[in-house]
Amino acid sequence: MTGVRAEPARRAKPSPATWIVWIVALAVATALMLVVRVRVERVHVALVYLLVVQFASVRGGRAVGLTLAGLAFLAFNWFFLPPYGTLAIANPLDWLVLVVFLATSAVSAELLYRARELGAERARALAANARAKSLEESHHAKDAILAAVSHDLRTPLTTIKGLAHELASSGDDRAEVIEAEADRLSDFVSKLLDFSRITMGTPPRDIQANEAEDLLGAALQQAQGCLEGRTVNVHIESPDALLFGRFEFAQTLRVLVNLLENAAKYSATEQPIDVGARRMGAELQFWVADRGAGVAEAERDRIFEPFYRPRGSSRDGGGAGLGLFIARGIAQAQGGSVAYASRAGGGSVFTLSVPWADLEETPAAG
Amino acid sequence: MDTATDLILVIDDEPQIRRVVRNAIVPDIGRVVEASTGRSGTDAAAAQQPALVILDLGLPDMEGVEVCRTIRSWSTVPIIVLSARGSVAEKAALLDAGADDYIPKPFSTVELQARVRAQLRRARLAPVGSNHVLEADGAVIDLAKPSVKRDGVAIHLTKTEWQLLRTLIQHAGRTVTHRQLFAAVWGNSYGDAQQYLRVHIRGIRRRIERDPVRPRLIVTEPGVGYRFESEP
Repeated sequence: MTGVRAEPARRAKPSPATWIVWIVALAVATALMLVVRVRVERVHVALVYLLVVQFASVRGGRAVGLTLAGLAFLAFNWFFLPPYGTLAIANPLDWLVLVVFLATSAVSAELLYRARELGAERARALAANARAKSLEESHHAKDAILAAVSHDLRTPLTTIKGLAHELASSGDDRAEVIEAEADRLSDFVSKLLDFSRITMGTPPRDIQANEAEDLLGAALQQAQGCLEGRTVNVHIESPDALLFGRFEFAQTLRVLVNLLENAAKYSATEQPIDVGARRMGAELQFWVADRGAGVAEAERDRIFEPFYRPRGSSRDGGGAGLGLFIARGIAQAQGGSVAYASRAGGGSVFTLSVPWADLEETPAAG
Repeated sequence: MDTATDLILVIDDEPQIRRVVRNAIVPDIGRVVEASTGRSGTDAAAAQQPALVILDLGLPDMEGVEVCRTIRSWSTVPIIVLSARGSVAEKAALLDAGADDYIPKPFSTVELQARVRAQLRRARLAPVGSNHVLEADGAVIDLAKPSVKRDGVAIHLTKTEWQLLRTLIQHAGRTVTHRQLFAAVWGNSYGDAQQYLRVHIRGIRRRIERDPVRPRLIVTEPGVGYRFESEP
């Protein structure tokens, strides 16, 4: 990090010492050539000045190079083009020499400056690449650890569930409890793995342009179990327009399912749940609205904190208090958000936003 | 039951899971032969000609994708994968490598039994030919004509939509990955086709489904692909 931050500082402004060094160099070159003025030709003078200007551009940067080109132009005229000691020029051809000199030195100062910048840019790009690579490697390492933990926790749970089923078929009614508790533990393991993934900052893997109805349909299907016997109204804004967002489908689906499950959990079964999708500026929004008790003013930020349970909710509710924290984490990791608002007429509205995707981005093919 | 003679190969390095799987299958569904490594598993698949393979990932000697590919190179036997990882990318890679179904751990015995039965049933069905007519959830689809009717009313589909629907129906009951759909419909223009796949799926659903946001024929397999449900 520090290496990269130092880069722009070095190219920003030449130090006063740099200015002095190069102006002195120009003065020395002028003095030396003055000594032998009678024997040097204009072309030699021009070449010496050009050399000084170019070195100054390489070492001191564009400003020093261009200033020195200007100074050399004046000195050339003053000291080496007759009549000496004035800025007047006797021979019109000398104008040509002078103008060509000025143009050449200015252009070479600029070119050298750009070449140097290009080099610096490449060095910066290489450094950034190396950093991205090491970041990528560390994400891979995290993924590998989480996969191993996942395997080590879920494999014994599979055995427990399987054996519980065997016990149940031999008539032991405690088996059902074992299997249900194994499911609860399994759900908790999934949430803890998500929690680790979010707190470790593992980036989403597969962000693509996805379509809103596809996500809504999949969410309604996955939440089917807890929405049973309920009226769910789907509202799609301007049904003929395509609603596209840029998001990771499977993860975003879990956020929406979580919001639907919460709506079912915190509102009475006879109350309908409303769910919809709309475009809002540069965002695609999915919203889930219920007619439950809503969230008290004081708790509105706290519901997104990890391991937070709303006041008065039972510990047996099955929740780990991670749902909304994970939902918000998943949304934020892909440039989106999850927000709460109270609903007019009572209840809650949760809104999941993801970046909007324009379909025109890539040319049509079929 | 005539199905009880089906031979099922279980490839798994964990004896406890092998036991759970075996007890889920024997005696109601079929007989079981076990292998504890990828190498012995692929050998057994060749030698014993099982009716179905259940493959647990995390074998000591071979990657699951490699086992799938090896078996798929000479056999069409259904392969069900068990995985504790549950990542979308892993699922897509395995289906691309030829696996037929993917069950995340921990699974319930009832679910495993249902998925095994579904795969065995599917394997016994004749492959879907080009002159196939099927009826599902009130829609009648004739691949030969081709035509779709819902409640007696003919529905128009574009050429691309037909190709997509045909590909899904030919693999009914099995998830077709995005990659497989691109290859079947667009050749291999993977990049451009991605979002158009979503547009066309939406288009087909809006015409053949009763309720396009509650699809019952073309089901989304999140992040992996789409599946035509022949038994909704």
